[in-house]
Amino acid sequence: MTDPLYDKTGDDPELAALEAALGDYAHRAPLRELPPRRRRRRTTVIAAVLGAIAVAALAVLVVGRRGEPDCRAAGTGFAFAVDGGPARCAGSLAAHGTLPVGAWLETAGAATADVQVADIGRLTVFGDSRVRLVGTGATGHRLELARGRIAARVTAPPRLFVVDTPTASAVDLGCAYELTVEPDGRTRLRVTSGAVSLEARGLAAYAPMDTEVLAAPGRGPGTPVARSASAALGDAVVRFDAGDRSAVPAIVASAGPGDTATLWNLLARTAADDRAAVFARLDALSPLPADISADAVRAGDPGALERWREALVDRWMCVGCFQKSRP
Amino acid sequence: MDVREATVVELVIAARDGQRAAFATLYERFHRVVHAIALARVAACDAGDVVQDVFTDAWHKLPRLREPAAFPGWILAIARHRAIDAARRRPTLDAAADLAVEPPPRLEAAAALRAIRALPDTYRETLIMRLVEGLSGPEIAAHTGMSPDSVRVHLHRGMKLLRERLGEGGER
Repeated sequence: MTDPLYDKTGDDPELAALEAALGDYAHRAPLRELPPRRRRRRTTVIAAVLGAIAVAALAVLVVGRRGEPDCRAAGTGFAFAVDGGPARCAGSLAAHGTLPVGAWLETAGAATADVQVADIGRLTVFGDSRVRLVGTGATGHRLELARGRIAARVTAPPRLFVVDTPTASAVDLGCAYELTVEPDGRTRLRVTSGAVSLEARGLAAYAPMDTEVLAAPGRGPGTPVARSASAALGDAVVRFDAGDRSAVPAIVASAGPGDTATLWNLLARTAADDRAAVFARLDALSPLPADISADAVRAGDPGALERWREALVDRWMCVGCFQKSRP
Repeated sequence: MDVREATVVELVIAARDGQRAAFATLYERFHRVVHAIALARVAACDAGDVVQDVFTDAWHKLPRLREPAAFPGWILAIARHRAIDAARRRPTLDAAADLAVEPPPRLEAAAALRAIRALPDTYRETLIMRLVEGLSGPEIAAHTGMSPDSVRVHLHRGMKLLRERLGEGGER
């Protein structure tokens, strides 16, 4: 007797369809490079503990005397390792160590630093960048990016990990993104997985996977745009973010199925006729769920906008749906 | 030793002595069951990281594993602990986190995965090993230490519940 479920004998079309769909989640990644194995001999551990205590005590003396944190001391902070060039931690050259609270990590042009963000993720600090650990604890982890570019991958509840830049704060909603402080002072956020909220000056831009958003000095976060968006839409959004409200019709006219994140963000940034036009286009591309009031959305009710956002999330995360057809 | 032909016990002994090729072969044989355990508890975009963390952890701790034959149960226990820790960090399994993987999965895959996660614990891991990772019942039994009869019962009971849930359309 055949048993397609247990030993894969015989035919079951429904089972085969389920397997084909769920196979999208099958694990195929190779094993990452293994680190050197830690030595765990008891005497070594005791010596290491005593050594750590001594180093920590020395660090306290050094900090107390000079007012500068010591990146070579064990203690609270983020472990880091530098590759490809020199870097400075708290002003001293460092190839690896622990970035303590309050200290800056600066990478030279060709250097990259791999930073362990507590137990929630990793951060790559690219060359010519300057990063400071503002704080770390059970309630959250906060960094400051003053210059350069970082890539973050975080596994944590929403809003636990925040990176401040000179113009905005990137609030992690999970899972991965790149953040750049450009030479002209603008902050550029590119979300590669999950979603990030870019916030400043009382405004927030919800940027889902495969969108990009800019925050210019003095303006707060702009409007997220899909990386696959047309040039016409991108140009219109730049004009809108610069304060040109007459750009709304051009955004609405050029928005396609992959641009619903842009339109949703605009609902909270427009009013009256402009919002009505944005609503009509978004509703045409992705109909408003029956349990959400159209009048509430047109009125800019935050609760209604939030519920529509939750309904749109599946679409936003399905980037391939708008780039290529799937089997 | 030809690692391709080696038994799990032989591989564990070699890996315990620091042979990375042997450990890589253990990864090849067990990464799918470890991923299934993670995927039963955490978002798809986090499950891959859990797998890597589990094997990195195992690499460090392997010298302390006294009984090489205990490796399958041992690695699965590490996987469950790691997955539970990861789930604590992201307590809500939202649709976005299941879709935020590369390449993007089909929407019906995300719906089916949510339906499996809503099943009783007893069936979740086994069904994911079978339907997501593509392991047969006998392979699941060999990798988990469960008896073939138990695997068969878990698969059929779990599948019955899953068909009911998907038929109701409640997860779509």
